[in-house]
Amino acid sequence: MSKQHSIVEIWVYLSGSPLFALFITLSAYQIGLTLYKKSKQNPLANPVAIAILLVACMIQVIEMPYSTYFEGAQFIHFLLGSATVSLAIPIYRGLHSLKGRSIPLVFSLAAGGLISIASAVGIATLLGADSSITGAMYPKSVTAPIAMGIAERIGVSPTLTAIFAVSTGILGAILAPFVLNALGIKAWWQRGFAIGVGAHGIGTSRAFSIHPEAGTYASLAMGLNGVISAVAVPVIYHLFNK
Amino acid sequence: MIFGLVQILLFQSLGELISQFLLPTLPGHVIGLVLLVLWLVIRKGVNAELAMVADGFSQHLGLLFVPAAVGVVLFLPQLKANALAIISALVGSVVLTIAVSAVVARFLSKKTVNE
Repeated sequence: MSKQHSIVEIWVYLSGSPLFALFITLSAYQIGLTLYKKSKQNPLANPVAIAILLVACMIQVIEMPYSTYFEGAQFIHFLLGSATVSLAIPIYRGLHSLKGRSIPLVFSLAAGGLISIASAVGIATLLGADSSITGAMYPKSVTAPIAMGIAERIGVSPTLTAIFAVSTGILGAILAPFVLNALGIKAWWQRGFAIGVGAHGIGTSRAFSIHPEAGTYASLAMGLNGVISAVAVPVIYHLFNK
Repeated sequence: MIFGLVQILLFQSLGELISQFLLPTLPGHVIGLVLLVLWLVIRKGVNAELAMVADGFSQHLGLLFVPAAVGVVLFLPQLKANALAIISALVGSVVLTIAVSAVVARFLSKKTVNE
C-alpha cells in the first residue's frame, strides 16, 4: 500500500464522518470568537459572520458538497430548536420590566415588526429582487432559529432567511447607536427595546455589553417579536402572496 | 446541567407534539418556548440548572446557525444578481425598524407620564 493511497484513504474516511463537519464548524467559530475579542468586540468582527465565511470558503476549496457538510453539521443545527425553547428564560426574566410600560412596548413592537417587513419587502421588490429573495425577507427581523422555522412554514428558503437574519443582526448592532443618537433617544429601556425589535440576537448581545437595562429590554423585545412573528408572519405572507 | 437539558428537551418535545397534532400553524419549538414561559410564571422562578443551560445557549446562539447559513454557497449566483436590492433592503429596513420602534416607545411613554 503506497503512502499516497493511505492519505487518500484517511481523507475519504474523515470527510465521510460527521466529525469533520463538526470540527471545521466549531473551529471556525472559535477563530471568530478570538478575532472578536482581539478587535475589542468591534461589531464588524462578528464571530458568526467570520465562522460562516470561513466554513463556506473551506468547503468550496476542498470541493465538499454542501449536503455532505450539512449531514455532519446537522447535529449543531438540531440544537437550534432547543436554543429557541431556552429563550423562555430571558423572556421570563424580562417580564417584570413590562409592568407600567406595557402600552409603549406593545405598540413599539407592533409598529417595528410591521415596518420591518414592509420596508424590507418593499425596498427589495422596488429594486427588482425575485420572489424567492423577497419571500425570505419576511421573517428576517426575527431571531434566526424562529425565522428559519417561519421560513419552512411559508415555503421560502430557510437558508436565505438565516443569511438575511444574521446580516440584519450585524447591521443593526453596527447602525443602532447612530440611529438612536440621531433621534435623541436617551432612555436605556427605549434604546434596548428598539435594538431588540430591529436586530434580534446579535443586537441584544451588543445591547447587554453597553448597558444591562438595555440588554434586558432588548432580549424581551427579541423574544416577544419571535413569538408574535411566528403567528403573524405566515398570515401576512399569505395575504400578499396569493 | 443534565437536569436543565432534560427540562428544555421535555418542553421542546411537548411543543413538537402539539405542533404535529393540534396546532400545525406554529413551529414546535416556538410552542415549547411559550409553554416554558408559562411554566416559569406558574413556578415563579428559574432553577439554577435550567438557567445554566439557557445562558449557555444564549451566549453561543450564533454558532447554532452556522450550518444553515453556510448554505449561502448554494445561493451565491442569486445573491450576486440581486446584491443591490438585498443590501438596500437590509440596511433600509434595519434603520427604519429601530427608528420607528424607538420613536413609538418614546412617544407613548411621554403620553402616559403626562396623564
